[in-house]
Amino acid sequence: MKRRHWVRLDNVSNIFPAARSDVDPKVFRLGAEVDHEVDPALLQLALEETFERFPLYHAVLRRGVFWHYLQDSELQPEVTAETEQVCAPLYQADRRTLLFRVVHHRRRISLEVFHALSDGTGALWFLTDLLTAYTRRRFPGESPAADELAEQVRPGASERPDPPPAQIGTHPGAQAAEEVHELTTDSFAHYFRGRRRRRAPSSHEEDFTREAAPAVLTVEEAEDPEALQAAGGEDEVPPAPRPPRRRTHRVRGTRTPDNRTRALELSMPAAPVLGLAKAEGVALTMYLTALFFEAIRRTDEGALAGSTMAASVPVNLRQFFPSTSARNFFATIRVEHTFGEGDDSPGAVARGLQEAFSAEATPEALERRLHRLIRVERWPLARIVPRPIKDAMLSVINHVNNRSLTVAISNLGRVTLPAPAQSHVGRMQFHVSAVRPQFCVISHDGHLTIGFTSPYVETAHVREYARLLTAAGIEVSLAAARTTEEELAGVEP
Amino acid sequence: MRTCAGCSLRIEGEWEHCPLCGGALHGRAEPSPYPAVPLRFSRRRVLRVLMLSSLGVIVLSFLAQLLFGHEAESLGVLRSVWLGIATTWLVVLMAVSKRRNLAKFIVYLVVAAGGVNVYWDFLTQWSGWSLTYVLPILCSASIIGLLITVRLIRMELADYVVYSGLTVLLGLTPIVFLSLGWVGVALPSVICGALSIAVVVLLLTLRGGAVRHELATRLHL
Ligand SMILES: [Zn+2]
Repeated sequence: MKRRHWVRLDNVSNIFPAARSDVDPKVFRLGAEVDHEVDPALLQLALEETFERFPLYHAVLRRGVFWHYLQDSELQPEVTAETEQVCAPLYQADRRTLLFRVVHHRRRISLEVFHALSDGTGALWFLTDLLTAYTRRRFPGESPAADELAEQVRPGASERPDPPPAQIGTHPGAQAAEEVHELTTDSFAHYFRGRRRRRAPSSHEEDFTREAAPAVLTVEEAEDPEALQAAGGEDEVPPAPRPPRRRTHRVRGTRTPDNRTRALELSMPAAPVLGLAKAEGVALTMYLTALFFEAIRRTDEGALAGSTMAASVPVNLRQFFPSTSARNFFATIRVEHTFGEGDDSPGAVARGLQEAFSAEATPEALERRLHRLIRVERWPLARIVPRPIKDAMLSVINHVNNRSLTVAISNLGRVTLPAPAQSHVGRMQFHVSAVRPQFCVISHDGHLTIGFTSPYVETAHVREYARLLTAAGIEVSLAAARTTEEELAGVEP
Repeated sequence: MRTCAGCSLRIEGEWEHCPLCGGALHGRAEPSPYPAVPLRFSRRRVLRVLMLSSLGVIVLSFLAQLLFGHEAESLGVLRSVWLGIATTWLVVLMAVSKRRNLAKFIVYLVVAAGGVNVYWDFLTQWSGWSLTYVLPILCSASIIGLLITVRLIRMELADYVVYSGLTVLLGLTPIVFLSLGWVGVALPSVICGALSIAVVVLLLTLRGGAVRHELATRLHL
């Protein structure tokens, strides 16, 4: 009888099983389009190789009396042809399954992950390795130094942090909104020189336990106890009183017939869009958010002058607090704009959002948040509450949070893959299941892709969004998953 | 690639009309990067509705028995049939909803069937047959059933340890009733209690470490 290793789910990740529903299964998808029809057999081999290297992905989610916990398993993943909708449910209570899946359809390889397991950045590490392993098999001639490369890349596990934020963007704070994922061996080696401790080869069990640990507890805070003290002390000071929150405009619509996520995708060359954002002096994320507000204002009759729109923008904390954890490690920042109180042009809105965002995305502010997260993680009272009650509380918190948001955003930024994947992958995709309209941004090889998801069938806001972009002279192409009865009528599956 | 003049968009896939504005498209269609996934109506939702309404009917039919009182002799056969059907339906419902974990199902079964029998006994002038015979037999049978199930379907210990623990605990309840003097004939209760204790000892000696590990996991603070 094997005793399986397990790690309890951290509080941040706990929200995902607790707030999961038929409409929003809390699954996100990262995809890549290669330059040929995907070979399922090679993809399976690549998946097996990658799976070996990521002990965290062996986990199944189980329920205890006080906690959800991630438990090591002996399940093996299998590549399948895409037969389910985008972001189809992954975790079901009482059913012991892996918390991710890899599917392929024509030229696309997609990785779907249950959000309690990992965040976008963590999943991107997995997808990167998968794509590298796959293209190396598919194009064996193109990686002469394959062995050497593998040695260098394989850090034992997913110890693959992103480089520290580069000096990009013109605006202070642009950094946080503008991520760069250069997952090449070079940047990896560069970043890790002197940082990575030499470790004796460890067993799978140890790897699992280490990698499934809550991300907030992996930050090397012991390095700087004074900073910890200072930040902790500072936090005791009550925060400045916030201005009273106005009622936030929320988008409503018709639910999709079988509660599937409505997924649409706009892809375009990245450079001109970046140019537009730069011309306004803002980060891309804020520019695209402002466009989204504008698109909703144009389509939604309820969004009159004087209404407030709000967006939540996640910030990858690894940029500020080096951590090699692939677990959830982000903080969300809420930004809002009230229409009818001044200049409502997308550029002006974006600048306003940028200002608010920058104020909260400073290393100091994020450090305070991080320490709050650590404290919550260690808070004794949170421990003795039975899990069903915790889940109910988290579900309510999630619901209240949702009420104050018009849209959620996620930007994985610019991705660079190692050779030979880099030259064979074109566009990449990013979608997150959602209870309200959401858009996700990812760019690779000069292609910018914006993935729109929503629980509603309506697409008018995407139409306006696309028109805003094409009106600026950008060539946009649309790909959509069929969702409604009419769309699916008479189409071969 | 097809294009929509209204949106000035290129549209991927074999769309007849623009998915955004519904306008006509021009150009040659190419295969979509997304498969067309047929609509799947949630069987789960249908099951849930069926389950809740059935439970309602069952609870009501049990409560309705109270209206007829103890003395209604003519009701005897009819009442037995009625309760029998309701109980069977209840068991079927539980089997469906707990089908993924047989050990869990057994616990639910013991609690529900035991409860119904005690109620039944109460309805028919409370002669104590449920506590004397039915409960001990039910508990013993469930423990034996559990042992067979675990063996037959090679259940992972983690899956059954908590619920088999509960089953064994339930197996000890007849002993409690015996000591309280609520039981007429002692033998069935004694056999059931002995069986439970034997299984506990067996489980702890053979799988003690694994049981402790699993309990520590589940009860981790
Ligand atoms: Zn159109």
